Amino acid sequence: MACPYLEYRKADGARSFDHERAYCAAAETFVQPMRADICNDRYDLDHGQHCEIFQTHSEGE
Amino acid sequence: MTVGYEAYLDADPVIITAALTGGVHGKEANPNLPETPEEIGRAAGEVEAAGASVVHLHARKPNGERSFQTERFQEIDDAVRRHTDDIIIQHSTGGTGAPDDVRHQPLRTDPPPEMASLDMGPLNRYDHLTSENTRALVDSLHAEMIDRGIKPELEVFNDGHMNEVEGLLDRRDLADPVYATLIFGPGTLTPPTPGNFLNAIDNLPDGALFNTLGFGRHQLPFATMGLLFGGHVRVGLEDNVYYERGELAESNARLVERVVRLADELGRPVASTTEAREILGLEEL
Repeated sequence: MACPYLEYRKADGARSFDHERAYCAAAETFVQPMRADICNDRYDLDHGQHCEIFQTHSEGE
Repeated sequence: MTVGYEAYLDADPVIITAALTGGVHGKEANPNLPETPEEIGRAAGEVEAAGASVVHLHARKPNGERSFQTERFQEIDDAVRRHTDDIIIQHSTGGTGAPDDVRHQPLRTDPPPEMASLDMGPLNRYDHLTSENTRALVDSLHAEMIDRGIKPELEVFNDGHMNEVEGLLDRRDLADPVYATLIFGPGTLTPPTPGNFLNAIDNLPDGALFNTLGFGRHQLPFATMGLLFGGHVRVGLEDNVYYERGELAESNARLVERVVRLADELGRPVASTTEAREILGLEEL
Protein backbone atom coordinates (compact mmCIF):
# COMPACT_ATOMS: atom_id res chain seq x y z
CA MET A 1 0.00 0.00 0.00
CA ALA A 2 1.34 3.41 -0.94
CA CYS A 3 2.52 5.94 1.60
CA PRO A 4 -0.36 7.91 3.16
CA TYR A 5 1.56 11.14 2.57
CA LEU A 6 1.79 10.52 -1.18
CA GLU A 7 -0.30 12.72 -3.45
CA TYR A 8 -0.20 13.28 -7.20
CA ARG A 9 -0.31 16.91 -8.27
CA LYS A 10 0.39 18.96 -11.36
CA ALA A 11 1.40 22.05 -9.41
CA ASP A 12 2.35 23.44 -6.04
CA GLY A 13 2.67 27.10 -5.16
CA ALA A 14 5.82 27.56 -7.20
CA ARG A 15 5.93 25.01 -10.01
CA SER A 16 3.65 23.30 -12.50
CA PHE A 17 4.10 20.25 -14.73
CA ASP A 18 2.38 18.65 -17.72
CA HIS A 19 1.71 15.42 -15.81
CA GLU A 20 0.73 14.78 -12.23
CA ARG A 21 3.86 14.06 -10.22
CA ALA A 22 4.55 12.50 -6.86
CA TYR A 23 4.17 15.03 -4.06
CA CYS A 24 4.99 14.36 -0.41
CA ALA A 25 2.40 15.98 1.84
CA ALA A 26 4.68 15.45 4.85
CA ALA A 27 7.70 17.21 3.33
CA GLU A 28 5.43 19.54 1.31
CA THR A 29 7.40 19.15 -1.88
CA PHE A 30 7.50 17.21 -5.12
CA VAL A 31 9.77 14.24 -4.65
CA GLN A 32 12.44 12.75 -6.86
CA PRO A 33 11.21 10.06 -9.25
CA MET A 34 13.37 7.46 -7.50
CA ARG A 35 11.83 8.37 -4.17
CA ALA A 36 8.38 8.09 -5.78
CA ASP A 37 9.06 4.37 -6.19
CA ILE A 38 9.53 4.16 -2.41
CA CYS A 39 6.32 6.14 -1.85
CA ASN A 40 4.46 3.66 -4.07
CA ASP A 41 6.08 0.55 -2.53
CA ARG A 42 7.22 -0.52 -6.00
CA TYR A 43 9.71 -3.29 -6.74
CA ASP A 44 11.46 -4.28 -3.50
CA LEU A 45 10.78 -0.91 -1.87
CA ASP A 46 8.67 -0.12 1.16
CA HIS A 47 7.95 3.38 2.45
CA GLY A 48 7.81 2.21 6.07
CA GLN A 49 11.27 0.67 5.83
CA HIS A 50 13.06 2.91 3.33
CA CYS A 51 11.71 6.46 3.72
CA GLU A 52 13.14 8.59 6.49
CA ILE A 53 10.52 11.28 5.84
CA PHE A 54 7.69 8.84 6.53
CA GLN A 55 9.44 7.49 9.61
CA THR A 56 10.02 10.97 11.06
CA HIS A 57 6.47 12.13 10.45
CA SER A 58 4.80 8.93 11.61
CA GLU A 59 6.82 9.05 14.85
CA GLY A 60 5.63 12.59 15.43
CA GLU A 61 1.93 11.74 15.15
CA MET B 1 45.59 4.76 -26.72
CA THR B 2 47.77 5.76 -23.82
CA VAL B 3 46.44 6.66 -20.38
CA GLY B 4 47.49 9.46 -18.10
CA TYR B 5 49.27 12.73 -18.74
CA GLU B 6 51.10 11.15 -21.70
CA ALA B 7 47.74 10.73 -23.42
CA TYR B 8 47.12 14.45 -22.95
CA LEU B 9 50.54 15.27 -24.38
CA ASP B 10 49.84 12.91 -27.27
CA ALA B 11 46.56 14.79 -27.91
CA ASP B 12 44.53 11.60 -27.93
CA PRO B 13 40.87 12.19 -28.83
CA VAL B 14 38.43 12.52 -25.95
CA ILE B 15 35.08 10.73 -25.96
CA ILE B 16 32.31 12.89 -24.55
CA THR B 17 29.35 11.06 -23.02
CA ALA B 18 26.15 12.98 -22.30
CA ALA B 19 24.04 11.57 -19.47
CA LEU B 20 20.77 13.11 -20.58
CA THR B 21 18.15 12.23 -18.00
CA GLY B 22 19.09 9.77 -15.23
CA GLY B 23 16.72 8.02 -12.91
CA VAL B 24 17.02 9.83 -9.60
CA HIS B 25 15.89 13.43 -10.02
CA GLY B 26 13.67 14.84 -12.76
CA LYS B 27 11.94 18.00 -13.85
CA GLU B 28 11.29 18.88 -10.19
CA ALA B 29 15.04 19.59 -10.02
CA ASN B 30 15.41 21.24 -13.43
CA PRO B 31 12.46 21.70 -15.82
CA ASN B 32 14.87 21.48 -18.76
CA LEU B 33 15.73 17.86 -17.98
CA PRO B 34 14.33 15.63 -20.75
CA GLU B 35 11.97 12.86 -19.58
CA THR B 36 9.77 11.72 -22.48
CA PRO B 37 11.18 9.72 -25.41
CA GLU B 38 10.71 12.68 -27.73
CA GLU B 39 12.43 15.07 -25.31
CA ILE B 40 15.31 12.63 -24.84
CA GLY B 41 15.58 12.12 -28.60
CA ARG B 42 15.76 15.85 -29.25
CA ALA B 43 18.35 16.27 -26.50
CA ALA B 44 20.42 13.49 -28.07
CA GLY B 45 20.38 15.32 -31.40
CA GLU B 46 21.52 18.51 -29.69
CA VAL B 47 24.39 16.91 -27.79
CA GLU B 48 25.55 15.04 -30.88
CA ALA B 49 25.68 18.34 -32.75
CA ALA B 50 27.61 19.82 -29.81
CA GLY B 51 30.25 17.06 -29.86
CA ALA B 52 29.06 14.13 -27.76
CA SER B 53 29.58 10.70 -29.27
CA VAL B 54 27.80 8.65 -26.57
CA VAL B 55 24.44 9.15 -24.87
CA HIS B 56 23.83 7.46 -21.51
CA LEU B 57 20.12 6.73 -21.20
CA HIS B 58 17.59 5.87 -18.52
CA ALA B 59 13.89 5.34 -19.18
CA ARG B 60 10.98 7.09 -17.52
CA LYS B 61 7.21 7.01 -17.45
CA PRO B 62 5.29 10.08 -18.73
CA ASN B 63 5.31 11.62 -15.23
CA GLY B 64 9.07 11.24 -14.92
CA GLU B 65 9.08 8.16 -12.70
CA ARG B 66 11.52 5.36 -13.42
CA SER B 67 10.83 2.65 -15.96
CA PHE B 68 13.00 -0.38 -16.65
CA GLN B 69 10.79 -1.84 -19.38
CA THR B 70 12.42 -2.91 -22.60
CA GLU B 71 9.53 -1.33 -24.50
CA ARG B 72 10.16 2.07 -22.94
CA PHE B 73 13.88 1.89 -23.76
CA GLN B 74 12.90 0.91 -27.31
CA GLU B 75 10.72 4.03 -27.64
CA ILE B 76 13.61 6.17 -26.42
CA ASP B 77 16.14 4.52 -28.74
CA ASP B 78 13.79 4.97 -31.69
CA ALA B 79 13.46 8.67 -30.85
CA VAL B 80 17.22 9.04 -30.39
CA ARG B 81 17.85 7.46 -33.79
CA ARG B 82 15.30 9.77 -35.43
CA HIS B 83 17.10 12.81 -34.05
CA THR B 84 20.75 11.74 -34.44
CA ASP B 85 23.07 10.63 -37.20
CA ASP B 86 25.34 8.08 -35.62
CA ILE B 87 25.50 8.52 -31.85
CA ILE B 88 26.45 5.57 -29.64
CA ILE B 89 23.60 4.49 -27.37
CA GLN B 90 24.49 3.40 -23.84
CA HIS B 91 21.70 2.11 -21.58
CA SER B 92 21.81 2.23 -17.82
CA THR B 93 21.30 -1.05 -16.01
CA GLY B 94 21.24 0.74 -12.67
CA GLY B 95 18.11 0.49 -10.56
CA THR B 96 18.07 1.04 -6.82
CA GLY B 97 15.43 -1.19 -5.28
CA ALA B 98 14.56 -2.98 -8.50
CA PRO B 99 14.73 -6.80 -8.62
CA ASP B 100 17.59 -8.37 -10.53
CA ASP B 101 15.41 -9.64 -13.40
CA VAL B 102 14.11 -6.11 -13.97
CA ARG B 103 17.70 -4.82 -14.20
CA HIS B 104 18.25 -6.97 -17.31
CA GLN B 105 15.38 -5.46 -19.29
CA PRO B 106 17.29 -2.43 -20.69
CA LEU B 107 19.61 -4.89 -22.51
CA ARG B 108 16.80 -6.40 -24.61
CA THR B 109 15.98 -3.72 -27.16
CA ASP B 110 16.22 -4.43 -30.89
CA PRO B 111 18.93 -3.70 -31.80
CA PRO B 112 20.62 -3.86 -28.41
CA PRO B 113 22.44 -0.76 -27.20
CA GLU B 114 26.10 -0.67 -28.22
CA MET B 115 27.04 -0.06 -24.58
CA ALA B 116 25.46 -0.49 -21.15
CA SER B 117 26.47 0.55 -17.66
CA LEU B 118 27.57 -2.05 -15.14
CA ASP B 119 27.56 -0.83 -11.53
CA MET B 120 30.52 -2.36 -9.74
CA GLY B 121 29.12 -2.53 -6.22
CA PRO B 122 26.92 -1.08 -3.47
CA LEU B 123 25.75 2.52 -3.32
CA ASN B 124 23.77 4.06 -0.46
CA ARG B 125 20.66 6.06 -1.30
CA TYR B 126 18.82 8.33 1.12
CA ASP B 127 19.01 7.10 4.76
CA HIS B 128 17.60 3.58 4.60
CA LEU B 129 18.32 2.23 1.14
CA THR B 130 21.27 0.64 -0.66
CA SER B 131 21.60 -0.26 -4.30
CA GLU B 132 23.31 -3.59 -3.68
CA ASN B 133 24.73 -4.52 -7.09
CA THR B 134 25.88 -7.93 -5.91
CA ARG B 135 28.66 -9.78 -7.72
CA ALA B 136 26.06 -12.32 -8.84
CA LEU B 137 24.05 -9.55 -10.51
CA VAL B 138 27.17 -7.98 -12.02
CA ASP B 139 28.13 -11.34 -13.52
CA SER B 140 24.66 -12.09 -14.87
CA LEU B 141 24.36 -8.62 -16.45
CA HIS B 142 27.83 -8.99 -17.95
CA ALA B 143 26.95 -12.42 -19.37
CA GLU B 144 23.88 -11.03 -21.11
CA MET B 145 25.86 -8.05 -22.40
CA ILE B 146 28.40 -10.42 -23.98
CA ASP B 147 25.62 -12.53 -25.51
CA ARG B 148 24.12 -9.42 -27.09
CA GLY B 149 27.38 -7.80 -28.19
CA ILE B 150 27.11 -4.93 -25.70
CA LYS B 151 30.22 -3.16 -24.37
CA PRO B 152 30.10 -2.77 -20.57
CA GLU B 153 30.88 0.61 -19.06
CA LEU B 154 32.14 -0.24 -15.57
CA GLU B 155 30.82 2.32 -13.08
CA VAL B 156 33.32 2.72 -10.22
CA PHE B 157 31.53 4.57 -7.43
CA ASN B 158 34.49 4.48 -5.04
CA ASP B 159 37.97 3.05 -4.54
CA GLY B 160 36.65 -0.24 -3.20
CA HIS B 161 34.94 -0.80 -6.50
CA MET B 162 38.35 -0.86 -8.15
CA ASN B 163 38.87 -4.15 -6.31
CA GLU B 164 35.54 -5.24 -7.77
CA VAL B 165 36.82 -4.40 -11.26
CA GLU B 166 39.86 -6.61 -10.62
CA GLY B 167 37.58 -9.33 -9.31
CA LEU B 168 35.39 -9.10 -12.39
CA LEU B 169 38.48 -9.39 -14.58
CA ASP B 170 39.46 -12.52 -12.63
CA ARG B 171 36.01 -14.08 -12.95
CA ARG B 172 35.06 -13.15 -16.48
CA ASP B 173 36.55 -12.46 -19.88
CA LEU B 174 36.26 -8.75 -20.66
CA ALA B 175 37.00 -7.50 -24.14
CA ASP B 176 39.78 -4.94 -24.45
CA PRO B 177 39.89 -2.17 -23.71
CA VAL B 178 38.31 -2.22 -20.27
CA TYR B 179 36.35 1.01 -19.94
CA ALA B 180 35.72 2.33 -16.43
CA THR B 181 33.87 5.44 -15.34
CA LEU B 182 35.47 6.95 -12.24
CA ILE B 183 32.78 8.70 -10.21
CA PHE B 184 33.40 11.47 -7.68
CA GLY B 185 30.92 13.17 -5.38
CA PRO B 186 29.12 12.92 -2.05
CA GLY B 187 27.93 9.94 -0.03
CA THR B 188 29.23 6.54 -1.14
CA LEU B 189 31.10 8.06 -4.05
CA THR B 190 34.84 8.71 -3.99
CA PRO B 191 35.39 12.06 -2.21
CA PRO B 192 35.97 14.62 -4.98
CA THR B 193 39.57 15.69 -4.48
CA PRO B 194 42.39 15.91 -7.02
CA GLY B 195 44.43 13.48 -4.91
CA ASN B 196 41.68 10.88 -5.04
CA PHE B 197 41.36 11.40 -8.79
CA LEU B 198 45.07 10.73 -9.33
CA ASN B 199 44.92 7.75 -6.99
CA ALA B 200 41.99 6.28 -8.92
CA ILE B 201 43.89 6.57 -12.19
CA ASP B 202 46.89 4.86 -10.60
CA ASN B 203 44.66 1.99 -9.47
CA LEU B 204 43.21 1.28 -12.91
CA PRO B 205 43.99 -2.15 -14.36
CA ASP B 206 46.71 -2.13 -16.99
CA GLY B 207 45.38 -0.98 -20.33
CA ALA B 208 42.06 0.25 -18.98
CA LEU B 209 40.59 3.49 -20.31
CA PHE B 210 38.73 5.80 -17.99
CA ASN B 211 35.80 8.14 -18.18
CA THR B 212 35.53 10.98 -15.66
CA LEU B 213 32.31 11.81 -13.82
CA GLY B 214 32.03 14.51 -11.18
CA PHE B 215 28.66 15.07 -9.55
CA GLY B 216 27.07 18.49 -9.12
CA ARG B 217 29.54 21.36 -8.87
CA HIS B 218 32.38 18.89 -9.34
CA GLN B 219 31.36 18.17 -12.93
CA LEU B 220 33.37 20.96 -14.53
CA PRO B 221 36.63 20.63 -12.54
CA PHE B 222 36.66 16.85 -12.84
CA ALA B 223 35.92 17.05 -16.56
CA THR B 224 38.93 19.33 -16.81
CA MET B 225 41.11 16.89 -14.87
CA GLY B 226 39.87 14.09 -17.09
CA LEU B 227 40.95 16.05 -20.14
CA LEU B 228 44.37 16.79 -18.64
CA PHE B 229 45.07 13.22 -17.63
CA GLY B 230 44.08 11.47 -20.82
CA GLY B 231 40.63 10.41 -19.72
CA HIS B 232 37.26 10.63 -21.34
CA VAL B 233 34.50 12.81 -19.96
CA ARG B 234 30.86 12.48 -18.99
CA VAL B 235 28.61 15.49 -18.46
CA GLY B 236 24.86 16.02 -18.45
CA LEU B 237 21.77 16.81 -16.44
CA GLU B 238 21.72 13.34 -14.86
CA ASP B 239 24.80 14.28 -12.86
CA ASN B 240 24.50 18.05 -12.56
CA VAL B 241 21.46 20.26 -13.08
CA TYR B 242 23.37 23.56 -12.82
CA TYR B 243 25.46 25.46 -15.34
CA GLU B 244 27.07 27.51 -12.62
CA ARG B 245 26.30 28.24 -9.00
CA GLY B 246 22.63 29.22 -8.70
CA GLU B 247 21.94 28.98 -12.43
CA LEU B 248 20.11 25.92 -13.75
CA ALA B 249 21.51 24.55 -17.00
CA GLU B 250 19.37 25.34 -20.02
CA SER B 251 20.09 22.01 -21.67
CA ASN B 252 22.40 19.04 -21.84
CA ALA B 253 23.91 20.58 -24.95
CA ARG B 254 25.11 23.62 -22.99
CA LEU B 255 27.09 21.32 -20.71
CA VAL B 256 28.57 19.46 -23.68
CA GLU B 257 29.43 22.69 -25.49
CA ARG B 258 31.37 23.88 -22.47
CA VAL B 259 33.50 20.74 -22.22
CA VAL B 260 34.11 20.86 -25.98
CA ARG B 261 35.45 24.39 -25.56
CA LEU B 262 37.69 23.20 -22.73
CA ALA B 263 39.00 20.28 -24.79
CA ASP B 264 39.74 22.64 -27.65
CA GLU B 265 41.63 25.06 -25.41
CA LEU B 266 43.61 22.19 -23.88
CA GLY B 267 44.45 20.59 -27.19
CA ARG B 268 42.42 17.38 -26.87
CA PRO B 269 40.50 16.74 -30.09
CA VAL B 270 36.92 15.64 -29.55
CA ALA B 271 36.33 12.10 -30.80
CA SER B 272 33.83 11.58 -33.58
CA THR B 273 31.42 8.69 -33.22
CA THR B 274 33.61 6.69 -35.62
CA GLU B 275 36.71 7.42 -33.54
CA ALA B 276 34.83 6.61 -30.33
CA ARG B 277 33.81 3.20 -31.68
CA GLU B 278 37.41 2.54 -32.63
CA ILE B 279 38.77 3.64 -29.23
CA LEU B 280 36.21 1.55 -27.34
CA GLY B 281 36.56 -1.48 -29.61
CA LEU B 282 32.84 -1.51 -30.36
CA GLU B 283 33.22 -2.74 -33.92
CA GLU B 284 34.90 -5.91 -32.69
CA LEU B 285 32.04 -7.00 -30.42
